[in-house]
Amino acid sequence: MTQSPTLSRRSAPSASPLPRKSRQRGADARAGYTFLLPWLLGFIALTLGPMISSLYLSFTNYNLFDPPKWIGLDNYTTMFQDERFLQSVGVTVGYVVFGTPLKLAAALAVAMLLNSARKGQGFYRSAFYAPSLIGASVSIAIVWKAMFGDSGPVDQGLSLFGINIGGWVGNPSMTMPMFILLTVWQFGAPMVIFLAGLKQIPADLYEAASMDGAGPVRKFFNITWPMLSPVVFFNLLMETIHAFQIFSSAYIISNGEGGPAGSTLFYTLYLYLRGFSDFRMGYASAMAWLLLIVVGILTLVIFKTSKGWVHYSGDAK
Amino acid sequence: MINRRNFLTTVAVGTASAAALAACGTGGGTSAGETGSAENPVTINYTWWGNDDRAERTRKAIALFESKNPDIKVNGNFTDFAGYWQKRATEAAGGGLPDVMQWDLSYLRDYGQRNQLLDLGTVKINTDAFDKSLLPSGQIRGKTYGIPTSTNAFAVYYDPAKLATLGIAEPTGKWTYKEFNDFLTEVGTKSKSAIFGSTDYTGVWWMFNIWLRQNNIEAFTEDGKLGFTKDDMKKWWNQTAGLRGTPAIITEERVTQLAPKSPFGSNVTATEVTWDNFMAGYLADSGAKELKLVPVPSDDPDNLGLFLKPSMLMVASAKTKFKDAAARFIDFMVNDPEVGQIFKTSRGVPASKTQRDGTTFEGTDKLVVDYEKSIEQYLKEAPEPPIVGFGTLEASFKRVSSDLNYGKLTIDGAADAWFKEAEDLIKQNA
Repeated sequence: MTQSPTLSRRSAPSASPLPRKSRQRGADARAGYTFLLPWLLGFIALTLGPMISSLYLSFTNYNLFDPPKWIGLDNYTTMFQDERFLQSVGVTVGYVVFGTPLKLAAALAVAMLLNSARKGQGFYRSAFYAPSLIGASVSIAIVWKAMFGDSGPVDQGLSLFGINIGGWVGNPSMTMPMFILLTVWQFGAPMVIFLAGLKQIPADLYEAASMDGAGPVRKFFNITWPMLSPVVFFNLLMETIHAFQIFSSAYIISNGEGGPAGSTLFYTLYLYLRGFSDFRMGYASAMAWLLLIVVGILTLVIFKTSKGWVHYSGDAK
Repeated sequence: MINRRNFLTTVAVGTASAAALAACGTGGGTSAGETGSAENPVTINYTWWGNDDRAERTRKAIALFESKNPDIKVNGNFTDFAGYWQKRATEAAGGGLPDVMQWDLSYLRDYGQRNQLLDLGTVKINTDAFDKSLLPSGQIRGKTYGIPTSTNAFAVYYDPAKLATLGIAEPTGKWTYKEFNDFLTEVGTKSKSAIFGSTDYTGVWWMFNIWLRQNNIEAFTEDGKLGFTKDDMKKWWNQTAGLRGTPAIITEERVTQLAPKSPFGSNVTATEVTWDNFMAGYLADSGAKELKLVPVPSDDPDNLGLFLKPSMLMVASAKTKFKDAAARFIDFMVNDPEVGQIFKTSRGVPASKTQRDGTTFEGTDKLVVDYEKSIEQYLKEAPEPPIVGFGTLEASFKRVSSDLNYGKLTIDGAADAWFKEAEDLIKQNA
């Protein structure tokens, strides 16, 4: 979840071209790899190895107890006849498509509010960032469940305005808005990155625009948005990937079942249930790989389209 | 927090260590396993599911066992029911199941048939004080994998105080499904929807099972197939078709909101159809002064379809190094009268006569014992351990019933959905 804000090409550190002897370079490399070793070992043992074994398992029927049995592509093909699987895809896509843009819009709006030099800005920045630090935790999911439950604060608040829809948690058509609100509320991480991006936009651009008589809307679309587009691109990518991985809050709010009426059966939750409740690890592994492939393709698509709307300063445009 | 990568890592690390452990897990196999002495005791691991109340009682029982058996130490550990099975699955994959475990009938085949559990026929556990009709429910293909600690039976709970305020007579428990439905409607109508009659009892797997038995159908055949048809299932769900959406039955929205607490424990329904050993939990949850139990409805007054089920079993891991110690601990937990005094009916009514006779039942505990005595003449043999993957089927039965109540599925659609899953699962495990 840590996102390092190395964004624009401008800020890439320029390599210092000091001439060095090749022997010293070799020693440097050895030292480098030595320092890298703990991470490298961890990566191979804890990430690469497991990924390869899960790739193998995805072609097998594996119930945790008996040795895996090779069944070729069966897991991948039966998936598309599995109604619960299709349901989980629908739920997840809905969440990503609506949740991510809303979250980014909220993050950008707050970042712009916090960008002006005002007294106590440091406090506000921390306060707005805080929810994203605790947002993915178990306790927040529990609080969320209570807030949106029957006669919880949200239910009571809405009935003050004459809106009586009861608790959201038990209502299949209200659970998705509830989850989207939860993710939008955790706008902290993209907000900080937006804020960093906003700080990099030279103030003289705005001054010049003001002198030419541009209003705030014009300034936003002609200066802020293009100047910020690399940051928007980065945030869009990260948050999309992140959204596909929603698990713990869904697990807790639905008691690990994906209910009511399958409305919170997110992809990863179904994957988990398939693996650990139904003992179908092969199927679960295949689901994991399919998710990886789809997210990979989606990332590629976002990258391709980015040429059309992302502007790097220094580009001849 | 769990994300996809961590999750995959766990799976794979589990797999890797399973292979490693399997490689070094053989050897050193005397029949009794390793034994300890008072100076140098062996330590066995014991795990169970349950709430704080059960944890407290179990700690007392373990302390008593250790004082009587100074050569054995017991290391206890517990979780809630849902998380329990996910944890066991990972441990089994890694070859590290605890030595002794509390077990549920639903999962006995999954682990027993896959050689994860110790054949308790090969160790010394005294089962003389057990009802002979009960022991087969812990056996698969002639091998004993589980010893029942206690029994429970299905019943209709009701709160007499709530019925009194509504001016409704207490039920006698001799009722047909129509009479039961009328009773639920009466509760909903007279309370002006303040209290619902019950949850939709057709969503409870075991009640369906009992109804099948009332119609002389066994849910599963001996070769692990389904013993009933889609039409049976549709007929069952049709029992309450006229009640869904009326005050007789609580809405599914409310049930979901209240989870994990039950509607009956939350005082929003007047009755509940479930196992009789939930008494203590319901009393604590609802704060009611008194709750009563009567038999489930049946259209055949001579066949109530009722049976005593092991409410839980004690099992040991097939890989335990301390067979003797494990057997002694199981024997103690199921037979010792003092253990009965500690647990009372919170595990169900003690299955071993030695333990049952050594326990004094008072108040609500007596109600449960009396209920099981009152239905004695109707009891049929306990069903065999359900098929492999039964836990999944039971969960999907509940889920499909819930979708039915949400109006997301028709009765036909619900039966189709469940049968598709069941057939797929049976094929998968064949």
